[in-house]
Amino acid sequence: MTRPSGLAIYTILYLAFLYLPVLLLPLFSFNSGTIAAFPIKGWTLDWYRQLGSQQTLLDALGNSLIVGAVTAFAATGMGLFAARAYVRYRFPGRAASEGLVMLPLVVPGIIVASSMLVLFISIGLKPSLTTVILGHTFLAVPFSVAILKSAFDGFDVSLEEASYDLGENAFGTFRRVTLPIVAPGIVASLLVTFTVSFDEFVLAFFLSGSEPTLPVYIWSQIRFPAKLPNTLALGSVLLLVSVLLLVVAEIFRRRSARGLA
Amino acid sequence: MTAHPIIELRDVDKRFGAFTAVSGLSLTLEPGEFFSLLGPSGCGKTTALRMIAGFQEPSDGTILIDGQDMTGIPANRRPTNMVFQSYAIFPHLNVGDNVAYGLRSGGIAKGEIAGRVSDALGMVELGGLEKRGAGELSGGQRQRVALARALVMRPKVLLLDEPLSALDKRLREQMQFELRDLQQNLGITFVMVTHDQYEAMTMSDRIGVMFAGKLAQVDTPEQLYARPCNRDVAEFIGGMNVLPASVSAREGEGLDVEMPGFGRLGIARNPNALSTATDILVGIRPEQIEIAADRSEWGDVAVQGRVEHVAFYGETIHYRVAMQGVDRPMTASVPNHFHTVDHRPGDSVWLAIEGASVIDLGKNDT
Repeated sequence: MTRPSGLAIYTILYLAFLYLPVLLLPLFSFNSGTIAAFPIKGWTLDWYRQLGSQQTLLDALGNSLIVGAVTAFAATGMGLFAARAYVRYRFPGRAASEGLVMLPLVVPGIIVASSMLVLFISIGLKPSLTTVILGHTFLAVPFSVAILKSAFDGFDVSLEEASYDLGENAFGTFRRVTLPIVAPGIVASLLVTFTVSFDEFVLAFFLSGSEPTLPVYIWSQIRFPAKLPNTLALGSVLLLVSVLLLVVAEIFRRRSARGLA
Repeated sequence: MTAHPIIELRDVDKRFGAFTAVSGLSLTLEPGEFFSLLGPSGCGKTTALRMIAGFQEPSDGTILIDGQDMTGIPANRRPTNMVFQSYAIFPHLNVGDNVAYGLRSGGIAKGEIAGRVSDALGMVELGGLEKRGAGELSGGQRQRVALARALVMRPKVLLLDEPLSALDKRLREQMQFELRDLQQNLGITFVMVTHDQYEAMTMSDRIGVMFAGKLAQVDTPEQLYARPCNRDVAEFIGGMNVLPASVSAREGEGLDVEMPGFGRLGIARNPNALSTATDILVGIRPEQIEIAADRSEWGDVAVQGRVEHVAFYGETIHYRVAMQGVDRPMTASVPNHFHTVDHRPGDSVWLAIEGASVIDLGKNDT
C-alpha cells in the first residue's frame, strides 16, 4: 500500500518535466548573478525594482493591456451570441459553423499569422495594435464560445419564458434574467480571453509593427544578455498574473455552471 | 361574472414543418373551472397549453381569452400566468424577488408590492420566507413559489404544465388536494396539462383527453371512467379489459351483445360512443369482475378460467385469468380486505360480470 506504483512514479516524472522548467524562471529571477545557471550567486529583488523604470517596457505593457482589454470585450461579445445560438437553436449548418468557430484552436499560429499579415497589408491595413486586436479576437473567440456554451448549457429556457409570462418584454428579460444568470460565465470569458491575448506571441510578433506587446518586447530583450535578469523578472510577473487570472476565471466559470443546477 | 366562456379554442391547428402537433382543437372553458388536458407524451397537450399562454401561435384557428381574440398578442400581454414543469424559479433571486418579479415589470406601485407578495406567499403556506434564497428550497417549496409568483399577478387563467411531475409520490398526493382547494377558494380558472390520469381525475371538474394532436373526449372524470368514447380513452383512464362483441339486437337504450367467453348479455348503449355497427368493442373494468373459487349467485353470467398471474399491489390484488375463447387473459382486481391472497397461479376460478358494468366502446376498427 505504501509503495508507489509505477503509474504514480510516471505521473510525478511527467508533471516534473512539464512544470519544473517553468518554475526555474522565477527562481533565476531572484538570482543576483546575471547568468541564468546554477549555482545561485545570491538573492536579490533588484531585477524587479528596475522593471518600473524602463519606459519601453511600460509602453509595451500599456499596449498589451489595451489589446487584451479590447480583445476580451470583442471576443466575449461575439462569443455570447454564438454560444447562445449553438445551445438554444437547431439550425442547418450549426455543426459546421461551430466547427469553423473552434478551428483557430488547432490551426498553427504561424500560418494564421503570416496569412493575416498578407491579408491586412493587401487591404491597406498597416501592422499596428488594431491588426493585433483583430488577430487576437480571431484567436480568442473559440475560448469565449467554449466557456459561454457551458454557461448557457444549464440555462433552463423556461426561465426566459417565465419572465415573458410575468409581463416582461424581450429587453427586460435579457437584463433581469439572462444577463445576471450568465454573468459569471461572461466574467470568466473576459478573463480568459484577456489572458489569451496578453500571453500571445506569434500573431503579435507578425502584426504589431512598431508597437510591440509585452511578449514581443520580452522576445526582443532576450537578445541582450545583460537584460536577461530583467526579462526573467518580467516573465515571472507575467506568469503569476496569468495564473491568477485563469484561477479567478475558473472560479467564475464553475459558479456559472453550478448556479443553474 | 362574465357571460361568455373564459377560454375558447376554435378549430386550432399547430404544425411544426411537416409534423402536426395539434389539429382541429375546439374547446370551451367556463370561468372558475378546473380543466385538465390529459394524454400520453407527444399528444399535443403541452403545445395546446403553450398556445393559450402565448408562447406559440396557432397555425390555424383562433384562441379567445375572456372574449378577446388573442391572435398576435404575445405572452407578456395575456391575462394568463403559467406554472412551468421545471418551475423556472429565477436562481439569482430570493423567494420574495421571484414572487415580485411580475409586479415590478407591470407598473405596480412600490408600496403595494410587498403586501401582495406576502399575501401570495401566505396563500401557498410560505409566509415569511421572502428572504430565502432560490437555491435553498425543497422541491415542494419551489412549486409553491412558482404558484405564488403566478397567482400574485391575479391572472384570469392559471396554466399548469405537469405541475406535480417533479415531486415525489407523497408530496404529489398532498399537493393534489392543496391545488384543488386553492383553485376552489380563488375561483380562478385552472388549466392543467398532465399525463397522469389519477392526477387529472382527482383534481379536475372536466378533463379533455388527447391523442395524436386530437381531442378525443371532454367530460367529467366520472363520465370518462364510466362512458369512455372509445378504446384509447378507456384504456388510458384506468385499467380496462377490452373484448370484441357482436350486436344481435338494439332496443332504445339497450343492446344485446354476444361476447367471446361470456356469451350473450344485455348492456347499455354508450351515448359517447355513438355507433350503429354490428361488430363493436366492449370493456369491463377489472374491479367490476368478481372472482371466486366457486360459482357465486351474483352476476348475469359467470364463466370458468384459470389464474395465470397474480400481482399484489397492497390495496388491491390483480389476477390475470385465462379463459376459453378469449385471446387475452382477463384482469380482475379485488380489494385487499383481509390481508389474504385467495387464488394462486394455476387455480381454477369463476369470473362473474353484470351487464350493467359492461361498457359499449363503439365500432370495432381493428
